[in-house]
Amino acid sequence: MPFPILRTPFVVLSEIISILEPSEIVTASFCSKNVNRLLKRHYQQRKPLEWKLVLDYHCWGEVYIITKQQPDDLRKNQRKPVLLIRHISQARHESEHKLIETNEYKRGFTSKLPVLYFEDQVMGSKMIVDYASDLFNLDIYGLVIDRDCIWAIDWINNRQEKMLVYFNFMKNKCNCNGDEAMDNVLRKALASDYIILKDIVSDTYRFDGKLGPAGLLFIESYGHWVTLDNLINFDFIEIMIDESRLSVSDLNSFLRHWRAGGLPRLAFLALKCKTSTIFENFDEDLQAVETDEVVQYRLSYGKKLVFRNGYSIQRMDGVKATIKGYIGFFLMAVWHERAVDSA
Amino acid sequence: MSSTEQGTSSAAPAEPTTAPESAAAPEVPESFYYVHGKDKVVHKVSAGALQHSALIHGMISNLGYTEEQAKANPFPFENIDGDILQMVVDWCNQHKGKPTPPEDTNLPKQKEKLFDLVLAVNYLEIKELLTYCCKQVAMMVKGKSPEEIREIWMIPTDAEDEAAEKEAKKRAGKEAAGETAAAAGDAK
Repeated sequence: MPFPILRTPFVVLSEIISILEPSEIVTASFCSKNVNRLLKRHYQQRKPLEWKLVLDYHCWGEVYIITKQQPDDLRKNQRKPVLLIRHISQARHESEHKLIETNEYKRGFTSKLPVLYFEDQVMGSKMIVDYASDLFNLDIYGLVIDRDCIWAIDWINNRQEKMLVYFNFMKNKCNCNGDEAMDNVLRKALASDYIILKDIVSDTYRFDGKLGPAGLLFIESYGHWVTLDNLINFDFIEIMIDESRLSVSDLNSFLRHWRAGGLPRLAFLALKCKTSTIFENFDEDLQAVETDEVVQYRLSYGKKLVFRNGYSIQRMDGVKATIKGYIGFFLMAVWHERAVDSA
Repeated sequence: MSSTEQGTSSAAPAEPTTAPESAAAPEVPESFYYVHGKDKVVHKVSAGALQHSALIHGMISNLGYTEEQAKANPFPFENIDGDILQMVVDWCNQHKGKPTPPEDTNLPKQKEKLFDLVLAVNYLEIKELLTYCCKQVAMMVKGKSPEEIREIWMIPTDAEDEAAEKEAKKRAGKEAAGETAAAAGDAK
């Protein structure tokens, strides 16, 4: 039974729009120019501040909205795709509905989502970002790319006043080293809160620039390039490095630098090595004191980590930290007032 | 089930659909009010049930009617069809004094009446019922393509919108011309 939605009062229409899922809003926006204008007007008046718009360019491209952050895992948030792009060659056999042709693209509908088919992936990506950003009146919050899409960092940072909040540099499909791309990426302003790096670099790759300021740096794999010099020049609140090749001696030097006032914003550090390095032999001058206190650190994205029987270490200005070494693993939580949380 | 009776406002309505009061109910006797829709069928509804409607609740608070006055002066809702008002009254009675659960199985299901129900509920300012009705409307388009949504929600195409706009402009132009001619005639 049809329902003449455009004949309902404004209050009712707004209530219905507020119930719809982000993907349903985007789908409905393609019904007519009139509906598109109406939805835009709705979001101009009621900006959906809790929604975060992300462009994922990895594997062709989609715009998705994060409606709620999963507290346990930075990578597993409630990701709701709203608009996809695909190559024009896929259009005929992929779309479950009749294709609608415009001057710029063909529009189909598959897996309950609108899909725009383009010849040019870059043009398509720009168009879906503009479309969703304009519809919801939202800036782009996050960017997920691989090395084929580095242009998007500058493009997004130029199209909006607000800096990207979330940046995820994915592993390239070719499985080959991307030293130049990684260097290029690291020298850009990137994002304000979360920087996640997953791409492959060669054994000899080194970075001689500065990284940060930002909230969190997560080198999810291939963190072997991070030297002591890099680490003491990073400006982050939380740092997590997988496949680190830092030695016990590097770590002691780092802690010495921290005690002297280096990395004043640092609240959390996690190093994971491929080797069985034992991060437990702290130099005496660091005055690390064994403690049986059980303390808990909550990462900025919600995950909680419990420290049992670590070492307490104090900076010259009085700020304390708990450090804990394992085989191939080192953790440090700095107890700035904000971060203190008893287990 | 419902307390309805065909006739004028002076007709004595039957007892309401509400469940009998429990032993723990307040001692003060409950007051009743009377409403009718386009069909003039009068519904006797308790003040408790009517609290769901911000509009009626506001009217009651302002009037301070006695039982007799209320019976003699049912609230007329001439813009609401009788069967729709019946649905609304039934819902208010079923939810007297309690909030609507997120999945309310006692809600009207007639899809063909949904539009009229939405208008009535919006007019009567019954927030919880309106939210439920809006959920029903939103559910209609789950997983549907733009073209399917256009049919379900009766959305004109761009071409239809343009044609309607042209037609409206043409009509407005004719009316303006007519008015000018009439004004010129008057001046003569």
